[in-house]
Amino acid sequence: MSPPRVAVWLLTCRLPAEWREFVVGDLEEEFHARAAVSPSAARRWFWHQTIRCLARTPPRTELRPTPGDPLVQTFLSDLRYSVRTLLRAPSFALAVIAVLALGIGANAAIFSIVNAVLLRPLPFDEPDRLVRIFHVPPQSTFPGITRFSVSPANFYDWQRAAQSFDSMVLFRGRQFALTGSGNAERVVAGAVGAEFFHVAHAQPALGRVFLPEEDSPGRGQVAVLSDKFWRSHFGAATDVVGRTLMLDGQAFSIIGVMPARFSAKAWAVTDRDIWVPLAYTDERRAVRDNHNDAVAARLKPGVSLAQAQAEMDAISQRLEREYPQANTGWGATVVPLQELIVGDIRTTLVMLLAAVALVLLIACANVGNLLFARGLGRRKELAIRSALGAGRGRVFQQLLTEALVLATAGGAAGLLLARASLTASATLLADQVPRAEEISIDGRVLLFVAGASIVAAILAGALPALRAGRTGLNDALKEGGRSEGAVGIRTRRLLIVCEVALSVVLLMAAGVMLRSLSALRNVDAGFDPHNVLTLQVQLPMRYRTAALSTAFFDNALTRIRALPGVEAAAAIDSLPVQGGGSVQPIVHEGQPELLPRDQPTVAVRKITPGYLKTMRVQLLRGRDVADSDTEVMLVSRGAAKLLWGDADPIGRRVTLPLQSKTVLKRVIGIVGDVKQDDLSEPPMATVYEYTHERDWRGLAIAVRTSVPPSSIAQAATAALHAIDPEQPVQNVMAMDDVLDQTLTSQRFSAVVLGLFATLALTLASVGIYSVLSYIVRGRSREIGIRTALGARTGDVLRMVIAEGMTPTLIGIAGGAVAALASARLLEKLVFGVSAADPLTLVAVAGTLAFVALVASVVPAYRAARVDPLNALRDE
Amino acid sequence: MWAKSQPAALGDFEQLVLLGVLRLGGDAYGAAIRQEIHARSGRDISINAVYTTLERLETKGLLRSWVGEPTAQRGGRRRKFYALRPAGETALRQAYRAFTAMAGGFEARLEVK
Repeated sequence: MSPPRVAVWLLTCRLPAEWREFVVGDLEEEFHARAAVSPSAARRWFWHQTIRCLARTPPRTELRPTPGDPLVQTFLSDLRYSVRTLLRAPSFALAVIAVLALGIGANAAIFSIVNAVLLRPLPFDEPDRLVRIFHVPPQSTFPGITRFSVSPANFYDWQRAAQSFDSMVLFRGRQFALTGSGNAERVVAGAVGAEFFHVAHAQPALGRVFLPEEDSPGRGQVAVLSDKFWRSHFGAATDVVGRTLMLDGQAFSIIGVMPARFSAKAWAVTDRDIWVPLAYTDERRAVRDNHNDAVAARLKPGVSLAQAQAEMDAISQRLEREYPQANTGWGATVVPLQELIVGDIRTTLVMLLAAVALVLLIACANVGNLLFARGLGRRKELAIRSALGAGRGRVFQQLLTEALVLATAGGAAGLLLARASLTASATLLADQVPRAEEISIDGRVLLFVAGASIVAAILAGALPALRAGRTGLNDALKEGGRSEGAVGIRTRRLLIVCEVALSVVLLMAAGVMLRSLSALRNVDAGFDPHNVLTLQVQLPMRYRTAALSTAFFDNALTRIRALPGVEAAAAIDSLPVQGGGSVQPIVHEGQPELLPRDQPTVAVRKITPGYLKTMRVQLLRGRDVADSDTEVMLVSRGAAKLLWGDADPIGRRVTLPLQSKTVLKRVIGIVGDVKQDDLSEPPMATVYEYTHERDWRGLAIAVRTSVPPSSIAQAATAALHAIDPEQPVQNVMAMDDVLDQTLTSQRFSAVVLGLFATLALTLASVGIYSVLSYIVRGRSREIGIRTALGARTGDVLRMVIAEGMTPTLIGIAGGAVAALASARLLEKLVFGVSAADPLTLVAVAGTLAFVALVASVVPAYRAARVDPLNALRDE
Repeated sequence: MWAKSQPAALGDFEQLVLLGVLRLGGDAYGAAIRQEIHARSGRDISINAVYTTLERLETKGLLRSWVGEPTAQRGGRRRKFYALRPAGETALRQAYRAFTAMAGGFEARLEVK
């Protein structure tokens, strides 16, 4: 039995050295005497004594500064004084804290996102060694595309030859229909090589991961579950290993469960329900000219990205020489996984961080204004202080301490604000930002907020404090503290100029983003997305033959067309504007297939008759495909130009050698260009092929409706389930929403920037209003004299409004220059409009001038109503 | 100069501690003094306050101190013992004299019932 160790430690830390031994000894001695009676009472007693000791102990000399340390002493007394004075002016303190909380809170929120997305390493073991490897396609046929999927044969050659990597793995996405318990359900799987978990450095929570021999056909009927799937489908049963999943009608035995932390959302292949072996056949492994798979790898320790890239370049060149027919022009590129996941959003986030910093600057200018007014109101107090011997430095220090107290409170409130807004926008963020689920307020965010608060205190406090320190003692006392007088107007005008200029930059950015968004929304995608419902169907393996799958889709379309409110329905393998979809070389009839570098490529879409009518794609010449056609093709205007120049393509025949080198497809019509990939990219040259009976696997069904598309979603799904109740139907959504989804990141930037710009505008107008009110109050005597001498209301109004508008116009001019200079940062993020768009700039300038005018009118009217008698009586 | 020859009057708490040291004879150390005061006067003083006072009295030249041997009961720590110096006895005597002189004739009224 010994006394509470923590209490002893506390005493040892806090007691003065010369007593420590005797006091602790005394307490321990008495403790033992008491413990003999009741140990628990003794412990209570010991704690009680400890607390009494600590409460009354004089500070230890070696830890605390001596009472005589002047710097700390002054700071502490300034701190106490600041808190006291601020408590006496609660409305002033609240106004300042609120403005700072908005500014710092917005910064903390954006920094939390930047911190989680860009600064924190990926949630994998040694994430900086994880890379993805892509093909670099020949630029003559794939202009602008630098990352391309990988063909299996090339991957296996890379894997054999490359020395820079610990391990390398081939993988792809796969979907299964899970059956066996009620309705069929779609399961999103990662089909991965056996090395996958080794590359990721991940251990299963239960069971085991794949063996090398399971990555082969016939042995690959095993599955590893994600933690999420294990909980949702097996109630986290610990005996799940050995049970069976029915996927696409085949039995997969469960061999393991991955821990929850493995399921990082940011990386598509870890954000899966389950994983199954890739299990390619030897024939599939030998495919070199069809690029559909993904590759991940882990660099050996100490190997740099450049070394790995150099090695992959050498290997690619060797493969080009060995397989010229398939590989000419195909290189390889090694990309850090982190870069791949967050690279796209980096520019946006940096831009938002810059924007939110401007908001903080504006908030600081506003707070500076408030502090300034307060400093002037306290001139008498400060003058007395200096009369009693306080130097200018001392007054400066005291006012800065006050600003620091305010900024600290503002920072704390801002942190709460940031946390609340991040929580409120969590679902929104999840769609917009990779790694959104990792966003949190951690030590780094706290440090950032502390730093931002200190910077804000200095920015907002320094100028007013300097200015206040300069107050002449005589002047201040002469006025007797009665009238404020209009002092320091120049400084305050400067603050307005800054606020307005910063607001121009922000409003400009927001305006340009909004215009870009509307340009994207109004871009002609080549089809009419309104009143179209889309749904996706992926047929499982039991539709083995072309006849079976053709029958399914024919039947499905017939049933859907019969629904009330449906005008037309058709199917395509890959919807426009979503990206993805097949890109293939195309060869004119009778001509040899060229090297991949020289062979033209086109986007290839499989459609059913009625697609043009359903999507309202323009038929320019020739005719649409009909049910009875075999091996026919429609070409887009761009494809016609690419393949035949000015010659007439109708009636010509081509092959798509990736599908078949012998089947000739006949061009029967030319259609309008459609944006296949991205609304901001020019449309791709596209061919639409159709043949009556074919092996359809996955198709998107598009339904043109005369009623709101969502109203028939249920009926359309039911029509499909009437054919096959076990068939999952996915992504049932209006085409408008599909389009909208592609604009999420633009909308995110526009919304956030718009929010910041609104905040900036509000702060700037409040700033102008408060400065003008102050000036009018200070000059009321002068205005009174003017009125007495015959100035009219209009003259006074004009004078005050000019007072407000001059700094505003200077600010607008300065802001315009700054906005144009910073346009380069935005240029990459906007579409269809220049980041230095003059029209937007004019609109922004007009808005600000108008807001400033409105903010000036109230003080101006107040000035015009100054009664000369009252104003002069003050004399 | 003359002020120094007259020792400053003792505070109430100082009197208690000095009396404690007096009562305990050669065995006066922090915990014992604390317990003695608690037991006799009912005042539960923190050990800290006892040491603060002891130190002050020692500085004033009323007490002297020495350090004993470490014991296991105290976790291997030593005791610090205190004893009255002659000046301490004088001070106590003065305080007692002042108290009894002032209370003289009121014993019956001041006696705790």
